[in-house]
Amino acid sequence: MIRLENISKTYQTDKVETLALKDINLHVKKGEFVSIMGPSGCGKSTLLNLIGLLDRPGTGAISVDGAAVKSYRDKDVAKLRNQAFGFIFQSFHLINDLRVIDNVELPLLYRPVSASERRRMAREALEKVGLGARMEHYPNQLSGGQQQRVAIARAMVGRPKILLADEPTGNLDSQMGGEVMDQLLKLNQDGTTIVMVTHDEREARRGSHVIRVFDGQLVA
Amino acid sequence: MFRNYLVTAYKVYTRRKLFTAINLLCITLTLMVLLVVTALLQNAFFPSGVEGKSDRLLQVTTMASVGNNGGTNRTSPLGYKVIEKYLKPLKSVQLVAAVTGPKTVSVYQDDRVTELLLRRADAQYWQILDFKVLLGRVPSADDVARGRFVAVLNQSTARKLFPDGKAVGKALNVGGQQFAIIGVVQDELQLNAYSDIWAPVTTDPSTEYRNQMWGEFTALLLARNSADLPRIQAEVAQVATQVQFDDPKEWDQAFLWADSKLDFFARGLMNNERVPESGAGTMLLIIAVMMLLFMVLPALNLVNLNTGRIMERSSEIGVRKAFGARSSQLVTQFVVENMLLSLLGGLLGLIGAKGVLLWLEGSGLVPYLKVDINFAVFLCGLVLTLVFGLLSGVIPAWKMSRLDPVLALKGAA
Repeated sequence: MIRLENISKTYQTDKVETLALKDINLHVKKGEFVSIMGPSGCGKSTLLNLIGLLDRPGTGAISVDGAAVKSYRDKDVAKLRNQAFGFIFQSFHLINDLRVIDNVELPLLYRPVSASERRRMAREALEKVGLGARMEHYPNQLSGGQQQRVAIARAMVGRPKILLADEPTGNLDSQMGGEVMDQLLKLNQDGTTIVMVTHDEREARRGSHVIRVFDGQLVA
Repeated sequence: MFRNYLVTAYKVYTRRKLFTAINLLCITLTLMVLLVVTALLQNAFFPSGVEGKSDRLLQVTTMASVGNNGGTNRTSPLGYKVIEKYLKPLKSVQLVAAVTGPKTVSVYQDDRVTELLLRRADAQYWQILDFKVLLGRVPSADDVARGRFVAVLNQSTARKLFPDGKAVGKALNVGGQQFAIIGVVQDELQLNAYSDIWAPVTTDPSTEYRNQMWGEFTALLLARNSADLPRIQAEVAQVATQVQFDDPKEWDQAFLWADSKLDFFARGLMNNERVPESGAGTMLLIIAVMMLLFMVLPALNLVNLNTGRIMERSSEIGVRKAFGARSSQLVTQFVVENMLLSLLGGLLGLIGAKGVLLWLEGSGLVPYLKVDINFAVFLCGLVLTLVFGLLSGVIPAWKMSRLDPVLALKGAA
């Protein structure tokens, strides 16, 4: 499904060049739940951003569904991100000015989908995460766990090929974190491929694979 | 998608009320000033009301003459002889009127002396211009032909000289000549209609005006329809080549141009007395550039404010990009948001401009001023608003749409 070959990434800041990732080779198969673990600053999030085409590698190649990503032009990556990926962030990144239902509709705004169809799909996604009754609320009227469930609904509404979650339980207490993990596992059981960055060994082990990053390299 | 943009815009603007108010004030004041200027220009270039036939009205205001030795030039208003001999016989024209420019005269009444403006006109003048007659009548062809000492006053003058409201039928001493007032017309500010008193051209104290090549007259040329205007203009230019000076040894060449109101102003400002092209295009371009420059400073201020406002939304930009928004879509979103505020500012500017114009009319700062915000001014206001919205919105939108999504999500943009 997703293949990374010989990926390296360096960051240039003033006179310092920092190597974030080195010679990464990774293959995420359809239906897998891959957990990426490692200490802070080891390159986990950079790896996730590269998979999700939010960032471009220094060297190496990425392919999605067998097709190599040849162009990182705005127009091309925007389309791929929209159709192939769904993102879940540690700090939710919901738009507080929009209602829950409007937040969930967001990925569909960038597709040729009618307003009524968007609304129907967003409602369905919210019902799946148990927030059918909170559609008209604003994000800041919800608890942290509920907000992350809205973020999951937003990530899933466009039926992406792969769900990328960057420490989805990092800002939640254990009970809410557990609820979010349950949602992710349920989605995975329904066939969604998931790549998740986490610090939590217990959560990582609930997935099908655990890969470890240390100093920018895969170690297991 | 548009609804999403509108909702976001509404929320963003209501979240920071002071900021939005400053933004709105900036837009409103800029557009208000520009709309007042536009309305005044529109009123001058494309008049309505008394000069309502302006779409088929031309005027020949000056004659530029070149001397035989090449060094002597003279550009001055027309003499009556030029109108009588060369312009009245024009074939393509329906009517030709001769009218003097407004000239200050002393009006003696009881023991008062009042300085007022007097025009002397022929009978066609009253047929070409649509004066609103409030009392009595205007001079007839017979009045003019017989040189009757009859006069018409405008409303303000009638009120000033005859506070009892009974001006018609009264006598008035104008510059030593005794006139009978036969009518009162509405106050007008338009170029060819502006005056306090009107009298027949034949009441001039001397008949010398009939023999003058240069004088104080303007010729008004009314076409049968607006399609005839180019033909009339060509005919006037042609007739100018046939002008015979009283002193052909001294004067050789004459230039006459039949101009619309816009062309008249342009020709004067651009100093194009000897070429057919009035320079109206250049003048309009200069006005447009000046308006644009007037908008630039407040627009730059708004660019700064808008950049700050969008910066606060870097997380939203990151999310939208992550979920597939192209930079161009984000530019559209932010420009639409800015355009909405600009349109609101434009609407308030329009209301403000109407208020300023009403105040100007009522204050007497510009006597007899009557300016309305018509559809053309409204349309111009809309264009100005859109230009202003684009000027102040595109740069920050373009800048922010190019944010790196990873940095935007971190809020580190």
